[in-house]
Amino acid sequence: MSSAISVRHLTKDFRIGIRGLKLRAVDDLSLEIPRGQVYGLLGPNGCGKSTTLKIVLGLVSATAGEISILGEPSATSAARRRTGFLPEAPYFHKFLTGRELVRYCAQLSGVASADLDAAVEDALGLAAMNEAAGRPIGTYSKGMLQRIGFAQAVVHDPELVILDEPTAGVDPVGSASIGRMIHAMRDKGKTIVLCSHLLGQVEQVCDRVAIMDRGKLVLEGAVEDVLSRRDRHVMTIEAMTPAARAAAEAALEAHGAKVTSITHPRRSLEDLFRELVTGSRDA
Amino acid sequence: MKDSLRRTLWISRVTFLEAVRQRFFAFLLVLSAAMVLSSVSFRVFDFGHGELKFIADFGFGGMFFFGSVLAVVMTAQLFFSEIDNKTALTLLAKPLSRAEFLLGKFFGAWAVLGVFVLVLAGLQGVVLWAREQELIAAAEQAGKIPATFSIVGLCELVLLQWLRLGVVISIVLAISALARTFLFAVVVGSLAVVAGQLQWIAQDALLRPTDSPVYAFFLWVSTRLIPNLQQFNLADALVLGSSAVEEGALIAVGVSGVAYLAAYLTLGSLIFRRREI
Ligand SMILES: Nc1ncnc2c1ncn2[C@@H]1O[C@H](COP(=O)(O)OP(=O)(O)OP(=O)(O)O)[C@@H](O)[C@H]1O
Ligand SMILES: [Mg+2]
Repeated sequence: MSSAISVRHLTKDFRIGIRGLKLRAVDDLSLEIPRGQVYGLLGPNGCGKSTTLKIVLGLVSATAGEISILGEPSATSAARRRTGFLPEAPYFHKFLTGRELVRYCAQLSGVASADLDAAVEDALGLAAMNEAAGRPIGTYSKGMLQRIGFAQAVVHDPELVILDEPTAGVDPVGSASIGRMIHAMRDKGKTIVLCSHLLGQVEQVCDRVAIMDRGKLVLEGAVEDVLSRRDRHVMTIEAMTPAARAAAEAALEAHGAKVTSITHPRRSLEDLFRELVTGSRDA
Repeated sequence: MKDSLRRTLWISRVTFLEAVRQRFFAFLLVLSAAMVLSSVSFRVFDFGHGELKFIADFGFGGMFFFGSVLAVVMTAQLFFSEIDNKTALTLLAKPLSRAEFLLGKFFGAWAVLGVFVLVLAGLQGVVLWAREQELIAAAEQAGKIPATFSIVGLCELVLLQWLRLGVVISIVLAISALARTFLFAVVVGSLAVVAGQLQWIAQDALLRPTDSPVYAFFLWVSTRLIPNLQQFNLADALVLGSSAVEEGALIAVGVSGVAYLAAYLTLGSLIFRRREI
């Protein structure tokens, strides 16, 4: 089966100002994003992540290179029908209510009118936005905008979902629930591509990651492979005494192993936060 | 094809909603309505066409002016609110073509101006009718021939004005597709409307013999590129029957309007297709 997204030797130059100065936003980037996985695209500000995604969706034209999504060359309307997109810092028609917006997007994405109501309610439920869906979007908080954006991206049950910073501005509880939604979609066989600066979260959510810098790909691989250091080990020990420690070190040394550090395990601030806080008012 | 039409329709529906939920539209509508209604206070009592003509000139003048402002400013605003707020990014990532998006904007804006023209013409009709009744009664007493106005002519005029505003909207959309900023689109759009209003001068000049082929070519190109917007202003002739309007002339104006409208929308779609969102 073809890749969900295949990018070959993609280059993008933006012309800036009237003198036509060129800014290379993406530089000879090649990526194969397999189906059925959560794929994270990482990198510092301005390294070309959003630009790459926009080119994939046909919103911006490439200077050079080839792209195919879901086996279709470039973003044809047939390919976009099977794709959902949440842009970065999303902003929607503020005079519509959340429900009206999701409905509008469902209609434009080709959801049959018989399935419309069910699809809209499902998507709102998935994004935990049922309660606020009757309010105008102009009154939403940043996190709610992000979640209604998520709902409009998945309302037509797409095979491929592209999320540009889905958890920017969302509180940890909300972003953990977005993480669960992403996993639920992956378990249904969907492909999810996301950008994020929240590395801790990316580590938990993604199966594969690519790291970009100045428009170039610097690393790509499965999270497990990229992060695990197979030459080191960590043990977690309870009720350790100094005597036990000395004995353990001696026993390990007898086999040629060397203890290089002994520390206390720390829980992450995120875990602590989630233990203490149960939900946001927006939820 | 059917899907394409439906998508265009949804875009125009939301565009219409956005426009009517804005204060700008309501403000201009109220202002123009006030202008039409205030013409009730003009009393000349010359039993002739003078008074009805004055009322009609005043009311249709308001409709013409504020309609043009609305067609230029509101259309550019409806277009740039999608681009600047990046809502176009969300919409165009859906299976929606750029042409469908632009056509949706067009029909949405055109529908709003349809409401505008219809409301004002309705009010204008009521004001003219009320004054006509008074004038008829006064003329009978004085034993003179009263002035009248034509309802059919008023309906024809509504259609013509609506078509004229459609041409303006399509020009503004083509300019917006190219423009980087709202301000640029409004300024150039307004200039285009003024040029269209004065286009007949170039057309006249073209009929006169000239020595310079460059000048003649320039005139020829500008008369083809810019529609003659003045030709839609048949208020006196249609409504007050001041001069006869041939059926054929009306149809010719209609056909030329629709042709310009289609040409500008096609041009706009072609430009917009290349735009980076
Ligand atoms: N429309 C544009 N015109 C000119 N330059 C642009 C345009 N869009 C993006 N750029 C430039 O391209 C580069 C990449 O931008 P991009 O938005 O893809 O970065 P990013 O990786 O998404 O960053 P962030 O993490 O801040 O979202 C930046 O240097 C940016 O200034
Ligand atoms: Mg970005």
